Amino acid sequence: MSNKLLWRATKAVFVREMRSELRSRQALNAVALFAVCSIVAVSLGLGPLNRSAELPLIHAALLWIVLLFAAFTALSRVFVVEEEQRTAAALRLAAPPHAVYLGKLLFNLVLLSALTVLIALLAIVLLRMQVKAPSIFAVMLAAGALGLVSGTTLIAAIIARSSSRSALFAVLSFPLLIPMLVTAVRGTALALAGMGWDRCLAPVQTLLAYAVALFITSLFLFATVWED
Amino acid sequence: MAERLAFTAKISLGLAMSGIIYAMFLVVPQYVGLGEAGRIIIVHVPTAWVTSAAFALSAVFSIVYLRTRSALHDASAVAAAEIGTLFCIFATVTGSIFAEVVWGTFWNWDPRETSILVLLLVYAAYFALRSSVDDIARKRRLAAVYNIFACVTMPFLLFVAPRVADSTLHPNCAFLQGSKCEGISLDLNGAKIGQLGDVVVELKSVETTGELTQARVEVRMPGLTQNAELTPSLDASGKPADRPEFPGQSFRMVLIEANPQAGTVRVNMQAPGTGLLSNQRTLWVFLASNLTFGFLALWLYRIRATILHVSALVETQEAH
Amino acid sequence: MDAIELTDISIDYGARRVIAHLSLRLERGSVMVITGQNGSGKSSLLRVFAGLQRPSSGHVHYIANGQNSLPADARQDIGWMAPDLMLYRELSACENLRFYADVRGLTLRDSALMALLDRVGLHGRGDDIVATYSSGMTHRLRYAYALLHRPSVLLLDEPSVMLDERGHTLLAEVVDAQRAAGITIIATNDPREQRFADTLVHLEGAA
Repeated sequence: MSNKLLWRATKAVFVREMRSELRSRQALNAVALFAVCSIVAVSLGLGPLNRSAELPLIHAALLWIVLLFAAFTALSRVFVVEEEQRTAAALRLAAPPHAVYLGKLLFNLVLLSALTVLIALLAIVLLRMQVKAPSIFAVMLAAGALGLVSGTTLIAAIIARSSSRSALFAVLSFPLLIPMLVTAVRGTALALAGMGWDRCLAPVQTLLAYAVALFITSLFLFATVWED
Repeated sequence: MAERLAFTAKISLGLAMSGIIYAMFLVVPQYVGLGEAGRIIIVHVPTAWVTSAAFALSAVFSIVYLRTRSALHDASAVAAAEIGTLFCIFATVTGSIFAEVVWGTFWNWDPRETSILVLLLVYAAYFALRSSVDDIARKRRLAAVYNIFACVTMPFLLFVAPRVADSTLHPNCAFLQGSKCEGISLDLNGAKIGQLGDVVVELKSVETTGELTQARVEVRMPGLTQNAELTPSLDASGKPADRPEFPGQSFRMVLIEANPQAGTVRVNMQAPGTGLLSNQRTLWVFLASNLTFGFLALWLYRIRATILHVSALVETQEAH
Repeated sequence: MDAIELTDISIDYGARRVIAHLSLRLERGSVMVITGQNGSGKSSLLRVFAGLQRPSSGHVHYIANGQNSLPADARQDIGWMAPDLMLYRELSACENLRFYADVRGLTLRDSALMALLDRVGLHGRGDDIVATYSSGMTHRLRYAYALLHRPSVLLLDEPSVMLDERGHTLLAEVVDAQRAAGITIIATNDPREQRFADTLVHLEGAA
C-alpha cells in the first residue's frame, strides 16, 4: 500500500464521517446540548466565586471535567455506529486498517475541537472565566484535545467490539487519561493566570509527548482490534 | 527430583515468610518518630514492587500473546494481572494505614499513591473488558491490546505529570526516579504559589533577622477552614532551623534554601521515617522481605497460571 | 487470483464446533455452492473465505501467480455480499459506491458508476438516500458493492433472498460473468441456485 493510496483512503473515511455527521447531526446535537447543560449546571451550582489565587485552578479543573465527559459521550461514536448499523464489515473488507484509524482519528479531532471551542466560550461567558494569556490558553487546549483524542480513539475501537459499549468507554479510558488530564488542568490554570511560556512550555510538551506516544502505539495495535 | 525440589522450595518459602513476620515485629528496631507503625514498611514496600513487576509481566505476556495467539500466553497475562491486583490492594491498604498513623492522613495524592490508584483502576478496567466480550478469541485479543496500551501511559504517570512529581512524602526517593525530592521553588516576584503533595503553598515573605533566615508561607489544604501560616527558617550555616508541622498533620515543612535579596526560597515537606533504611538490621530484613514477597508472588502466579492454562485448554478441547 | 485453498479449517462458537476440519481447493473458473440448514455455518464459512473472520483453527490461502498472497492484498480481489451487510443509510447509493472506490484506491468514472447501477437494476435511483430504499433495492446495492472493484473471487451469501423474479435473472447474469472472470462461492438453500454449482458442499452443521 503506497502512501498516496493510504492518504486517499484516509481522506475518504474522514470525508464520509463528516458527511454522515452533517446529515444526521447525531453526535454534534447530543454533545453540544450535553456541554451546555453541564456548564449551566456548574455555573448555577457554584454561584459567584471570589477572585482568589486558586480561581484559575478551579476554572481549569471544571473546564476539563466538562470536556472529559463530553469526550466520553462523543468520541466512541465513530466505531460504535459502524457496529450498530452493521456497516463495519463492508468497511473492513474494503479499506486498509490504517486508513480507517487515521480517518476516524481526524474526525474525532475535528469533533473535539468544535466541542472545546464551544465549552471554552461557554465557560468564559457563563462561568466568567478570565483568560489572561489567550494564545497560551488556546495552545494548551489544542494540545490537551490532541492527547484526549489519541488516548481514546483506540479505546473506542475496542469497546465497539464488546457487549456493554458506552459504559465501558469511560471505564477503560479514564485511568489512561489521568496523567494527561492532570497535566492539562495544571497547564490551563497557568494560562488562565497569565503565566508566560517559561512556565507553560513544560505542560504543552508533556501533552504533545503523551499524544504522540499513544498515537504511535495505536497505529501498531489498531489492525489487531479491527480484524474480524 | 523436580517434585522434591518444588517441595523444598515451598517449605523454605513458608519458613522465610514466617521469618520475615518474626523479624518485622521483633528484630527491626523502632524508629524515632515512626514508632511501631514503621514496621509496616517491611510488607508495604515489597507488595508495591510486586505490583509493578506483575503489571509489567502481564503486559509482556500480552505482547507475546498477540504474536503467537496461543491461549496459554493469554492465560499467563491474566494470572499476572490477578496477582498484581491482589498485591496492589495489599500495597494500597498497608500504605494508607501507615500514612494515617504517621503522616496523619489516609490519602495524600502523593505520586506513588496516585500511580498505585491508577494501576488499580487499569486492572479493574482490564477485567471489566474481559467480562464484556463474548467471543473468546476476540476477548483475548482486545484485552491484550488494552493491557499494552495502558502500559504505554504508565511512564507519563510516574515520570512526567508535574503535579505528582513535585514532591513526595515517601522516603527513599532514589527508588523511583521522577518523584523529585528537592522540593519546590517559590519566587516572591514570580511563581509564588506552588504545591507540595495536595497542599497549596504561597510565599508571603522571606527575610533575615539576626541569625535566622525566615520565610512566611501561607498553607491551604483540604479540610482546613482557615489558611494557616508557617514560618520555617534556616540558621546562619544554612541548615534548617525551625521545621513547623503542617496543621493537623504529622509532617513538617522545611526550608532548604533561601535568598532574601532575590526573594526566592526552596521548601519541601518532610515526613518522619526518612532515612529509615540506614539502620543495618532494618535494611537486611527489608531486603529479605523483598526477596520473599517476590517468591511468594511468583509461587501464587505459578498456581494461578496453571489453573488458567488448564481451563484454557479445556475451553479449546470442549469444542473438538 | 488463481485459486483459493482451505486447509483443515474449524470454526467454533463458544464450546460448539460448527465446522470441523474442512479442507478444499477452488480453481479459477469454478462455482461452488454451499448448502446446509440454518446454523450450519454457511455464512461463517463465507466470512472465513473473505478474511472477515479468523477460523478457530486452520488456514486460508489465496494463491495468485503460483504464490500465496497476503490477506491484505487478497482483500482487493474479494467481493462479498450478505444479507447482514449494510451500507451507509444517510448517504446516497452513488456516494456509498464512490466512498468504497476511494478507500480501495480505484478511479471510478461516472460512466462506469452508471453502468454498474444499471447492471444491478438501480438505474436512475443512484442519487437517492439509501435509507429510502426498499429491502430489495438495498440488496441490489449490495451486488453493486461486491462487484465494484471487479473481484476475482465473488462470495454471495443468500444472493436472492430479498429479490423478485428479475432479481434471479440478475444473479444468473452475475454468476455467468464471474465464471469467466474467476471464482464464485454461493451460500444458499434455494434449489434454483444450486444448479450453478460445479462443486456442491453440504454442511452437516453442529456435531
